[in-house]
Amino acid sequence: MADGNTPASQPSNESPDPSPSKAIGSLAKKQSDVTRLGTQKLKFVPTLPARRKSGGEVKPEEHVPKPTPTEQGRGRGRGRGGARGGAPPSVEMTASGPFAMGPALAGSSTRRSAPRSNFTPIVPLGPSASSLGSGLTSSAPPTLKRETDKDAQRVKVEDEEAYSEPDEGVEIVDMDNVRQMDWMAPESLRKDKDDAKRRKKGAKVKKEGKANLDKKGKGVAQPDAMDVEEEAETAAAEVDLANAVDLSESEDEEELEDIIEDFALESEQLEESGVPQERLYFFQFPEPFPTFQSKQPPPDAVSIDVDMPDPSDPKGKRVSFAEDTKPPAPAPAKEQEAPNTTLDGQIGQLEIYASGAVRMRLGNGILLDVAAATQPSFLQHAVHLDMAAKRLCVLGEINKRFVVTPNVDALLEDLASIGIHTQDALQIDEEGLIKMDTDS
Amino acid sequence: MNAEDDRLLTVLPIHLSNALAPNVHIHQFPLLTRPLQTPPSAQAAGKRIVFRVKPKVRRLEVHVPVDTRPEVWNSERARDLGIARVEDDKEKNQESQKTKSREGEEPRLSEIRMQSEQVPQQGAYMLGVVRDGRLHLHPVSETYQLRPTLTYMDVLSRKSKRRTGAGDDSDSDDGPPPDPDDEAPPPAVKKEKKQPTGEAREVQVAARRLDREGGQAIQGGLSAVRRDMLMTMRAEEEEAWEDLEYCDGETEESGVAYEAVFSKRQEPLECKTTVADFLKNTSNS
Repeated sequence: MADGNTPASQPSNESPDPSPSKAIGSLAKKQSDVTRLGTQKLKFVPTLPARRKSGGEVKPEEHVPKPTPTEQGRGRGRGRGGARGGAPPSVEMTASGPFAMGPALAGSSTRRSAPRSNFTPIVPLGPSASSLGSGLTSSAPPTLKRETDKDAQRVKVEDEEAYSEPDEGVEIVDMDNVRQMDWMAPESLRKDKDDAKRRKKGAKVKKEGKANLDKKGKGVAQPDAMDVEEEAETAAAEVDLANAVDLSESEDEEELEDIIEDFALESEQLEESGVPQERLYFFQFPEPFPTFQSKQPPPDAVSIDVDMPDPSDPKGKRVSFAEDTKPPAPAPAKEQEAPNTTLDGQIGQLEIYASGAVRMRLGNGILLDVAAATQPSFLQHAVHLDMAAKRLCVLGEINKRFVVTPNVDALLEDLASIGIHTQDALQIDEEGLIKMDTDS
Repeated sequence: MNAEDDRLLTVLPIHLSNALAPNVHIHQFPLLTRPLQTPPSAQAAGKRIVFRVKPKVRRLEVHVPVDTRPEVWNSERARDLGIARVEDDKEKNQESQKTKSREGEEPRLSEIRMQSEQVPQQGAYMLGVVRDGRLHLHPVSETYQLRPTLTYMDVLSRKSKRRTGAGDDSDSDDGPPPDPDDEAPPPAVKKEKKQPTGEAREVQVAARRLDREGGQAIQGGLSAVRRDMLMTMRAEEEEAWEDLEYCDGETEESGVAYEAVFSKRQEPLECKTTVADFLKNTSNS
């Protein structure tokens, strides 16, 4: 609240001074040295972005938001908030788009809700331009259950926007809905989640701006102005929060929750069309995957194609490379050495903790952490290629990817207890450090 | 997350099955929100998605019918491109008997072809499904990325270049510098399949390019790397396509395959890998 304007801010009041006043001012500049510059407030009337409401005011606002932080503020956040509220278009540019929220949201936003390709039946084509392709209804804006609410809200907000009179023959279509116009329509990118919030904040700040038109001094406050200011202040604070915090916090929360949800919803059976709606997940394990073998010898004739009926042979029934038979090979194929062995059984358990951690505990004390991987936004099919039958069956679409990593704490503990005595190059150094052999 | 006093909420047993291995693959398509599906207009016309595979070289191709409605499709251009594609196919020996008979006199571009590229797997991939409170895992053997092939465009541009001037067409057609890892057929194909008059010129151009790359420029010949590439490509071209029946996610066969992914038995499997082995292996790989 210092009276001394920083020299930087003064010129900024007159002309839009882009980066310093805007970016930094939003976070650090708390002074509102502003009062005498109250006259500038006239210019700043933030409105909702870009709809044809107050045509004249839109343009000046967009240019002016930068100087305003200093003026607006009776104080503190509001000025910044005002600026932000008034310039959602420019702010949106930096933070919007499907990748803005980080990998989690990008993935979750484009994750397909239907795990299998259960497409709605074909809709016969009606009038061409506006016909809805069948695939659109099921695959258009990829909506998770959680997201649908937000999407719906957002759509409602937008529907309330008043569009100006359409010219003759021109149909007004919301950009978000372009995708639904036709099978071949281009895809609309998802808008920022925070749009709705920002718009509301913008409305509040606008009120404040108008109220401030009459005032000059910093200290001069009339009741209604104060009220409006307070509103706007909270609004601005929230807006800042929305900008500053949501991007990171919500990501993390979403991620963790998602993982739990993915596994904990065991009984979720949405058997709508008769096609099981189970989600297909993709796990990436460290290579090589631990080998397993059936405990009992395969006397059960059910087991298919066992090449070694000798139960004592440890090499029977493997699922992947065994470290003693083959050097860890980089090739991806699993069943190279023993194409006939099949495995079927329980290998461990998946533990879900209250903190959101998900762990896999396999035999022999192997503990693995499960985390959500970067979700690709494109379509992934799990398929079964049956060359014998010359058939390619689509098992389904992959819903989510997970990365499985060894739990380092458990590994180290085990090393400390058992690894010392083995001959696998786990020698203890002089300082008591375990020497890791990384060359072999 | 170091707390061992973290409350355990749920436990899901993990089952492993490799009943369908090594035939479970992952295919990745450049589609953001729409599924791999024939457009309704094409489906009404009886077109379906066709898959074909070259098993030895591990290459897949999927033909997805396109939406040929006049509002969204330019049929004259489709005709031109169709002709180009037929030529392209002939050159590369990729025609299948089906397309020959189907296209008849007027080849039109009516499908998008996507060719696969196998991507190496980093680590062990598993497909997991949660069912009945159990997590069922199944190993994934191969991962392919499919992207549309537009090699028929080369035919078109070649035609137009021939008209304007046969000078540097190989150079100009070869947009990006030849990548030793890149198995793109067109540049090599042109080298071999052009008319004899073009042949000599081709060779010289190749030598020039190699010089630029800093590779060994064998006068009048091709470097070893190039030769290997060409051989691989030729092997691929010579192998015949095998058509596959494509079963969508909703078909019965897919349902059968899907069920086979699940583990049927409850018996616990014994783990042969100890933790120390595990650590050693992971640090090595």
